[in-house]
Amino acid sequence: MKPNLLSVIPLVITASLHAEPVTYTPPTETALLKSAPGSTEAMTQCMTCHSAEYVSSQPTLPRATWKALVLKMQKVHGAPILDAQVDALVEYLTKTYGDEKAASHKSGK
Amino acid sequence: MKTNPDRSPSSDPSLNRRRFLLATGAVFLGSRLPASAADKVTLPFENGERELVAYPQKRPLIRLTTRPPQLETPFAVFNEGVITPNDAFFVRYHLSNSPPPGLDIETFRVGVQGKVNAPLSLSVADLKSQFEPVEIVAVNECSGNSRGFSQPRVPGGQLGNGAMGNARWKGVRLKDVLDKAGIADGARQVTFNGLDTPAIPATPDFVKALEIDHARDGEVMLAYEMNGEALPILNGFPLRLIVPGYYGTYWVKHVSEITVLDEEFKGFWMATGYRIPAGDCAFIEPGSAPGKTVPINRLNVRSFITSLSDGAKIKAGKATAVRGIAFDSGFGIREVLFSQDDGRNWRAAELGKDLGKYSFREWTIDLTPKSAGILALRAKATNSIGQSQPMAALWNPTGYMRNVVETVRVTAA
Repeated sequence: MKPNLLSVIPLVITASLHAEPVTYTPPTETALLKSAPGSTEAMTQCMTCHSAEYVSSQPTLPRATWKALVLKMQKVHGAPILDAQVDALVEYLTKTYGDEKAASHKSGK
Repeated sequence: MKTNPDRSPSSDPSLNRRRFLLATGAVFLGSRLPASAADKVTLPFENGERELVAYPQKRPLIRLTTRPPQLETPFAVFNEGVITPNDAFFVRYHLSNSPPPGLDIETFRVGVQGKVNAPLSLSVADLKSQFEPVEIVAVNECSGNSRGFSQPRVPGGQLGNGAMGNARWKGVRLKDVLDKAGIADGARQVTFNGLDTPAIPATPDFVKALEIDHARDGEVMLAYEMNGEALPILNGFPLRLIVPGYYGTYWVKHVSEITVLDEEFKGFWMATGYRIPAGDCAFIEPGSAPGKTVPINRLNVRSFITSLSDGAKIKAGKATAVRGIAFDSGFGIREVLFSQDDGRNWRAAELGKDLGKYSFREWTIDLTPKSAGILALRAKATNSIGQSQPMAALWNPTGYMRNVVETVRVTAA
């Protein structure tokens, strides 16, 4: 499944509250994951189902926790993440948002 | 067209944002601009920077996530009164397509099905005309309220103390609706599903379950009004489940399917998600893994000082009126104790008007610092069956049910 970031179009709900119709137009989704090796793939994999703050608002979690989260998304929440993609995604998350973020990136993979 | 749903997201944020605005700008004429124009707040824990963003029918709230929307109430709102205004009430969703599109009170129906004698399909007008209306003031608190304060930190929604609210809910008794359908013999649980849906079909739909006796206790409600108005879209318009005394995870929004089961529901959000360590206390040794778990259930006792926040300045030698709120899972608040010396000495606060056992209870007390200096103020509530709050924070790996006796440090001068 390809990413649908740009298909995150504004949701417009017209709900009649008593007699008065209300148009629901939420603010635009603009948050992106930090640009770093692996970020394009991470946006594909993570942002199919949720916005970037689900990642960026986390504390500096250790690698094992990021791995558990990625596997939960893959195996329990049905995220279209291939087994071969798991390690690279965990690497990006740990180095960019986790407790290894002070370390410099050696490579994208 | 600038929007192509099949394109990969660019790694250049400015490019994406520009393209996005070009594609959607017309829709947002007159609405608040995101990001750059937003006010910001910093919750008092690492990585606690958040934007304040106004969503439809809402004042600017602390945005945790954009999709699905998760919005936290700025804590100062709780000092406005014991009823949380609709436009300030917190928002928490689980699935990408939230709020669901196409909500219309005219065409909306809630179905009652499964192990019943006569399945029902009811409009909001049917609920209003066929059943006795009831009202209750009740606190809705997110299971993970205050998760951001967990030490060690845990993954999940990094909330401050604002994922809670107290409203007057109006609707009908779930019991009356179930009785009209007629519960068949052998019924064990009732499940509740709303109109929100996941981005992809493989994601478990958000469905919650209650035991049959709980569902029929006469207090669980289907509410169509909140504080005298239709529910805000982001709080479940046009109908949501109200489960007084239970954490917000059970308060299913846009509830459209009520299903009576003759077995225990095994869906993800009951069998795997929203579980707490079994036993009297939902907490375990920090950093450890829980053994047996059970579904999260009743609210812990909590209390907050609302009229003073950390860093506030008050006058030494003069009385300052201090105000706060306390709540529990419905046994009722018996006592709120207040300390101005970090818990060494305590005085009983005066309890305010009783809006019902599931409501926030206001409390007040005068504080007169004898001399200048920093005071650690603490408030501790106890309910009518003796449940109270721990002086030091307890922990579990999901960051649920935090209820430590809070501390507010002020300076007397």
